[in-house]
Amino acid sequence: MALKNYAYNNEEQMLGEIMKLGEDIIDSRDLELLRENANLNGESFSGKMSKFGSEYAKWYAKHFIMPQPVVSAIDDNYVYVHDLDQYAIGTTNCIFIPFDKLLREGFNTGNGSVRPPNSIMTAMALVAIIFQSQQNSQYGGVSSNKLDHDLAPYVAKSFAKYFRKGLDYFEEHPQTDLGDISMSRTDLKERYPKTFRYALKETEIETLQGAESLIHNLNTMSSRAGGQIPFTSINYGTCTSPEGQLVIDSLLTATMRGLGSGETPIFPIQIFKCKQGINQAPGEPNYHLFLKAAECSARRLYPNFANLDAPLNLQYYNPADPDTEFATMGCRTRVLSDRFGRNHLSGKGNLSFNTLNLVKLGLEHGIALGRRKTADEKGFYRALSHYLEIALEGLLHRFRIQAAQKAKASDFMMREGVWEGGEQLGPEDKVGDLLKHGSLSIGFIGLAECMKAMYGKHHGEDSAIYDKAFAVIAHLREYCDRKSEELNLNITLFATPAEGLSGKFTKRDRVTYGSIEGVTDREYYTNSFHIPVYYPITAARKIQLEARFHDLCNAGAISYIELNGNARSNPAAFLNIVQYALSQQVSYFSINHPIDRCSACGHEGIIGATCPSCGAHEKDVHIRRLRRVTGYLTGDFQTRFNSAKQAEVRDRVKHTQ
Amino acid sequence: MNICGYYPESINEGEGLRAAIFISGCRHRCKGCFSPATWNFNYGEPFTLQRQDEIIADIAANPLLSGLSILGGDPFFSAPEVSAFVDRLLDKAGPVSIWIYTGYTYEELIRDTASPEFELMRRCNVLVDGRFEEALRDPSLRYCGSSNQRIIDIDTSLAAGKPVLWTEKYSFHS
Ligand code: SF4
Repeated sequence: MALKNYAYNNEEQMLGEIMKLGEDIIDSRDLELLRENANLNGESFSGKMSKFGSEYAKWYAKHFIMPQPVVSAIDDNYVYVHDLDQYAIGTTNCIFIPFDKLLREGFNTGNGSVRPPNSIMTAMALVAIIFQSQQNSQYGGVSSNKLDHDLAPYVAKSFAKYFRKGLDYFEEHPQTDLGDISMSRTDLKERYPKTFRYALKETEIETLQGAESLIHNLNTMSSRAGGQIPFTSINYGTCTSPEGQLVIDSLLTATMRGLGSGETPIFPIQIFKCKQGINQAPGEPNYHLFLKAAECSARRLYPNFANLDAPLNLQYYNPADPDTEFATMGCRTRVLSDRFGRNHLSGKGNLSFNTLNLVKLGLEHGIALGRRKTADEKGFYRALSHYLEIALEGLLHRFRIQAAQKAKASDFMMREGVWEGGEQLGPEDKVGDLLKHGSLSIGFIGLAECMKAMYGKHHGEDSAIYDKAFAVIAHLREYCDRKSEELNLNITLFATPAEGLSGKFTKRDRVTYGSIEGVTDREYYTNSFHIPVYYPITAARKIQLEARFHDLCNAGAISYIELNGNARSNPAAFLNIVQYALSQQVSYFSINHPIDRCSACGHEGIIGATCPSCGAHEKDVHIRRLRRVTGYLTGDFQTRFNSAKQAEVRDRVKHTQ
Repeated sequence: MNICGYYPESINEGEGLRAAIFISGCRHRCKGCFSPATWNFNYGEPFTLQRQDEIIADIAANPLLSGLSILGGDPFFSAPEVSAFVDRLLDKAGPVSIWIYTGYTYEELIRDTASPEFELMRRCNVLVDGRFEEALRDPSLRYCGSSNQRIIDIDTSLAAGKPVLWTEKYSFHS
């Protein structure tokens, strides 16, 4: 195949570039490169091995596969193509797994077939296996959008099993056929009280054990290339059957108990689905579970909170079908609507996304460089349209590659119907017609710095600038909607979670433009439409300002509030803030607060230089400092974060003291 | 009167999200005091009417606040001025739940019901009382520093004629 994009002067020059790719990895020369992803230990053997493949795959895609304008836009730092290493081979991004179907029907992992489970313990174990089997069919996150609903039938199976045993033990022999035995059968409770109590107790114990093993499994299986743990997310909170409630309760208890030595689990990301009438006010069936979720979040940073009542999400909600309840990949990806009618979550996902560097466009057309007195808005929008076209061109080109793949390339996903309809394809069939139900997303980063570069202030500082910022994002959304119609595809707008990216754009722009105050002078750009982490603002105001953007970002967004202080000792504050954010129509919300852990005595909370409990100093014992970036937790931000994200954590001003 | 700190939102000084004002000046001189600098009545910035109005406006505009906490130093050494501020706040912002911190005990404050100290306490809802005792320091306590200190529900206590401890509205179970 001929080189498509880059003319080397001679073969030696090309060879030199390829060799340097390898040497940098072998010698761990480029720590930034190796720490791009906080979930990957880039200094380990398997991490390096995966980097080797990944760096060469990127190089290959850019030089042999991708359209020239897209490559130029990447090289010029206007557009970022996420997971470029997966581009040439046509992998897709993420998926919501139909656990109900897989558990009900059984499945085949490729190495062996698995029967439907007969107890909650086995069902929970199979959830981990399904996550694991699916995660290498794609490159992004694997998520469960309604784990409580999906697992409730297996709690019932366990209960029935113990109930039959109990009848025997306690000699409460029934005269008639008992019908379907379940935890909601109050008649059984009256007739066979001892048996019922025994069965309930045993079922509770088993469900909790199952939940603990699930969480342990999802934190320990380094089954992903490069020794990564799969990016797993679980959503729950709305199932009101006693069996579903027990699933939720057990997951929360297990999360609060923590891992082996009580530490906070990093995975799965947990999302509690909030819905008025179900769990938002006293008297509603799952309100106690919402309170428990808030407690868990105050201790462990998870669960985050999904807002089923936000208009964006409510329009698809069908109370009879939990698969229509908004849920999210932990990082924020949202797939709900589908122009081909699959307006539910499981069985599809996001295909890929490309992100625009709004800051560079702002610099080119704003006042920050001193080239002009007032911002050139026309020029800005012209350039924005240009790069939107290119970002979309890249998505469509990639989509054609993805669509041309054979079902056997994403074997588990298609054969088992994890992607809805995949089970009907033969191994050699192309997947294109099914993938159209997924979404292609255009993301953006650095709205705050863009406004600063354009006008000298960001959208948290001035209400006129806020309107302009809002107009930019509304413009992006209109573009996505228009193109969806024109091309008959699901094209959506994404508030990019930019872990590796936030520093990369900045670094290169600083080389081009120098360090410009409030624009390129930090090591990172502000995530999506967020108010900058370093800007002092009250929690309420931040929520109000960010809330309106959620409705525009139909591919997903999240808002955070930083709490400085021991969140677990002030539940009232925690609950107020969460419910206020929900009331403002924030679609997906979470509260960040520091969790430090003293390795000498195990004390968790806020630890300065010395542990308040045992007095050990950070010079002498390791204080593990847990922080959140882009929606994922990372064990220890000083050793696993890249420098841009370390800087972001340092700069965060707490919205509350 | 000076103030030596103001947080528009805090989760560390009482239940819920609260604004917190620190009044300069304290004569208790507890051993191990978290911040002896605040003993000085001239520490910090003057609490001008303009500054008061800014803070009152902040409180009135913030839908997330559960109320205000007044700390120090010890606000009871400036009782008449603090009372005047509280009146101004309630007048302009409507009912606001107020927590107040002091090195005095409840019993000391109610000894003379004609005193400015009693007047100040009467205006507030929750009193965190008692001097900081280094030997009783306990970092796991919420909203106070040493285990001799109490969180007292002022209205209920005055009605009952004896100190009644405040009980939290929400609680996490474990
Ligand atoms: S009452 Fe408070 S400010 Fe005064 S000395 Fe004691 S601890 Fe310090």
